[in-house]
This record gives sequence, structure tokens and C-alpha cells, in this order.
Amino acid sequence: MKKSCAALAVALVLASCGSRTAPGGAKQMVIGVSLLNLSSEFIVMLNRAMEDKARQLGVRLIVNDAQRSAERQVQQVESFIAQRVDAIILNPCEVEASSPAVDKALAAGIPIVNVNSETRSTPTAFVGSRDEESARLAMDYIARRLNGRGNVVMMHGFMGQAAQLKRDQGAREVLAKYPGLKLLAEQTAEWDRAKAIALMENWLQSHGAAIHAVFAQNDEMAMGAVLALEQARRKDKVIVAGVDAIADALRAVRDGRLDATVFQDAAGQGAGAVETAVKILKKEPYEKQLYLPFQLVTRENVSQYLK
Amino acid sequence: MAFPSSPRWTGQAGLILALVALGGALSLATPNFLTVPNLINLVRQISINGILAVGVTLVLLTGGVDLSLGSLVALSGVAAAHLAQAPGAVAFPALLGMATGAACGALSGLVVTRGGVAPFVVTLGMMTVARGLALVLSGGRPVSNLNPQFTRLGGGDVAGIPLPVLVLAAVAVIAHVFLRHLRFGRYIYAVGGNEKAARASGVDVHGVKLFAYTLCGALAGLAGVVLAARITTGQPNAGVGYELDAIAAAVIGGASLAGGAGGIGGTVLGALLMGVINNGLDLLNVSSYYQQIVKGLIIVGAVWLDRGKEK
Repeated sequence: MKKSCAALAVALVLASCGSRTAPGGAKQMVIGVSLLNLSSEFIVMLNRAMEDKARQLGVRLIVNDAQRSAERQVQQVESFIAQRVDAIILNPCEVEASSPAVDKALAAGIPIVNVNSETRSTPTAFVGSRDEESARLAMDYIARRLNGRGNVVMMHGFMGQAAQLKRDQGAREVLAKYPGLKLLAEQTAEWDRAKAIALMENWLQSHGAAIHAVFAQNDEMAMGAVLALEQARRKDKVIVAGVDAIADALRAVRDGRLDATVFQDAAGQGAGAVETAVKILKKEPYEKQLYLPFQLVTRENVSQYLK
Repeated sequence: MAFPSSPRWTGQAGLILALVALGGALSLATPNFLTVPNLINLVRQISINGILAVGVTLVLLTGGVDLSLGSLVALSGVAAAHLAQAPGAVAFPALLGMATGAACGALSGLVVTRGGVAPFVVTLGMMTVARGLALVLSGGRPVSNLNPQFTRLGGGDVAGIPLPVLVLAAVAVIAHVFLRHLRFGRYIYAVGGNEKAARASGVDVHGVKLFAYTLCGALAGLAGVVLAARITTGQPNAGVGYELDAIAAAVIGGASLAGGAGGIGGTVLGALLMGVINNGLDLLNVSSYYQQIVKGLIIVGAVWLDRGKEK
């Protein structure tokens, strides 16, 4: 029994070291991809765009899911290096903790492209968006709707994550610009819709009619706030804005339940990352830093974004 | 076979004292705690954890544990959500959700009893498998566009009482009656209290354990259905960590991790205590960093007070 198990294991390992020759005989480029977390809708869209572009360019992707663990991400990159991939695309978990992955890739002479989030270490290239911008757009929208005066509450993502830090920064820049805007309360709902519902319910108890607007750092939490407000029959008096433009949020904007969200071009980022990696490998000119703009989505323009 | 003693109202007294003390302190600290709307929010907020805690109490009583609850919540939610996209569908999605949970629970129970593998390991495996299945079933994206009759289960109310609370109440009452007044309920205590003696007395130990895991899974499925209705979407990454909150509620309520002790009343009180802490800390706008610390200290304190009274 043990011998046949061992034989099976060896056979599987050998089989997985597949041929790297593309049709036509030329050696196919292999890019290792380490993603932050495939149970996030945004990252799923990012991945899909990468795979589409890879198929288009005839490049092979090895996609790993770091499941939010920077440690696992570093291990995955080490594994890519050992497999001698041609390039690596990194969707970093954390600014500091994912930096060793970048360092190791560069030390091994393998080009590495960061997508969507930054690391402290500088990669060969970066394709993404400036998260502060997304928060600035949402908060500016709230400020305009409130005519520069009013009380805002802010729902944070996981404390310490790059997206949370940047969006917090962007939001505070706008708050500083408008002295009539007051940050009444802020708390983390950990990017989670259910936690956001409970948080909004509790805030309504503490502050009630004093809340004029809610800025949630992502759409899941914004939807939670909307649900709680609708249940308390206060949604018509409170403005809610989120970030991400997930399908649920776009529908909610169209139906007038959510006031605004911010579209992050997942498709553009994913495709851009693969394109940049291929350009680097083909020694063609590439942009070291490619920033795709965020776009504010409100009822006026939501039809552009709905599929 | 003597019915193993479990401290009833004397043991619960410490917990009730802790609840009253905490509630009292909060109502002094903020006028927003002891209001009808807030208290309604509070019980609604503990409903899902409460349902999970009742289920896990059954498993804990047999001397086992179930770490897969959070993943079952997600999987059942996703499964139910798929059916709940059809207009008017309520019963089928709910039943499918519970059946999904029950099936996973039964599978865990089978491996624990027939396979002889430790419950910690089995349910840890089920935790990851069920999570993976939830992601596969949903393609990593939330399953949305649920019909309003279904979502009413999570957001609606009857005579001012939120539906999730009614579900929890029904589950708790049925479970309590089952454990205390039916012979099978006594078997559960017997198996957890002294498995060898129970087997020697002719109790079908494997059958009892299998039943406990299956029922726990079914209740996790129900919790998943209620959650999906509440957040109006079936989310594959819902419920992370829910099993720990459920076990904490049960243990605070007097359930022993070694089995044989505990009850539904205590579990519900435990869930209530945890809910009061979360609600209170939010009302007082305590920073989330400190919330974690305070929560841990109060939980340990409540259990300490409770156990101290027993001696």
C-alpha cells in the first residue's frame, strides 16, 4: 500500500511539471501570481482580468491565493522563485510584511510587478490606483451634498491594512478642508456587511438624528449601513457612500438606496499588470508606475457601470 | 443510571448577576442602553450567535466540539441564497440551508464516531472543506438579488419582535424541552458525563453523538439562512470566527468543554452577555482596540464569578 502511494505521489509531481512549450515551439512565458484573497469580489474580478489578458497574450499564469496572510504570500513567492518563473505579479497583503517577497524576487533576478496595493520595497513596476483618491471622491461627494456642514460617521476596514490606512488618510484630508464637517464617530466593521449592520444600529441608538452621512471604506459595509438605516426608516435622512462599485452596490445606487460608490478599475489593473510584466520580459518600454483613476458613481452615471 | 447533576438556577445566578451588573453599569453610563429600541436591537444582534450556541451546546454536552460552524453558516447561506433568487421562495431555500448544514454535521459526526477521529480535527477539516465549497458554489462572489419574502426572515418583525429573535426563541425552547424532558436528551448528558458507563447501560453512544453533530449542523444551517436573509446576500466569506463566539456563549453559560454539563438556559444567557458587551461598547464609542481587551476580560470575569458561586 505504501509503495503504490509513493509511486502515485511521484507520478503526480512529475505530471504537474508540465511542458512549458507554447504551440509553435516557442517557450511560453510563465508568470507567478500571488493574490491577497480570492474570497473578495474585487480580487476575483482582478484575477479574471489577468487570466483573460494572459490568454490573449499567450502567457501562462500560476495563480496562488495568499488568503490574507503575508507569511503565506512570501512562501508563495519563494516557491515561484524556486520554480524559476519568468516574472511575478504580486497583489500584496500588507505594506511591510509583504515587502520581503519583493526583495527576494529582485534578488533572484525575477521581475516583480505589484498590482493594486503597495509594499514598502520598490518592485520593478506598479499598476494600481491611489486608494486615498477613492476616499477623497466619496467624502467630497458627501461634503457637496451636505453643503459643507454636517456630521459624518466613518466605518473602517480591517485596521492596519493598506486600503484602510489610505482611505482613512483620503477621508481626513477632505474633512480638514471643510471645517463645517464633523466626524461624529468612527469604528471598524472589518469590511463586513453583517458587522456594519450591527454597528449602524448601535450608532443610531447613540447618535440618532445627529448623523447626516456615513462614509464606509468599502461597499460591503456601506450596504450594511443602508440595510440598518432602511430598517430604522431613517435612510431618507442619511447619505451613504462606499467604495468598490461591487454589483450589489451598483444596483443599490440605481435603485436609489445607496447614494454613491467609487469604481475601482479591477479589469484595468489586472490587464495592466499582465501587460506590464510581458513588456518587461520582452525588454519593451514600460511604465514604472501606472495609476488608473477611480471614478465616482452616482445615480446619474451608474448605468455606464451596470453590466 | 443516575441523571448527572448540572447546576441549574444556582449556577446561573452568578451569570444573571453579572448580566444585571453590566446592564446596570451601562444604563448609568449612557441613556441609550436601556431603551426599547436598543434592547430590541440587542436581542436581534445576538440571534444568529444564539442559534449557533444552542447547536454547539448539544455537541459540547457529548464531550465533543464543532469548529466548522462559521463555514457551515457561509455554505448554507450561499446554498439558500441561490434558491432565494426565485420570486416568493422562502421554505425551499430555508430547508435547503438547514439540510446542507445537517449533511455536513452528519458527515462530521460519522467520522468522529465510526472513524474514531478526534472531533477537533474532524470539524477543523470540515471548516476548511465547507468554506472551500461555499467559494466554489458562489464563484467567490456574493449571491444577491434575493426575493423580499425571504429577506423578511432576517429583517422583518412580528408585533415589534424581530423574526430572527422569534427563530432563536423557538430553537431554544425546543432544544430545552428536548434536553430536559425527553429520554434522548438524558442520553446526551449521559454520553458526555461518562461514556463508558453510558455504553454499558445500553445507550447507543455513536447514535447519540451522530444525532448531536447532525442537529448542530442543521442549526448552523438555519443560522446561515437567517444571516443571508439579514444581509440580503449569500456570502461565501460570512461567518468567519462564529464558532468561537458560539462556543464562548455556551461555555460562559456553564457548558463544560469536557462534556456532560451545561444547558440551553445558560447558553442563551451567555449569548446575551456577549451581546450586551458588544452593544454597550459600541454605544460608548469605545475604540475597537480596547473593545477586544474589554470583551476578553469581561468574559473571563463572568465565568470566574459563575464558577466561584458553585463552590
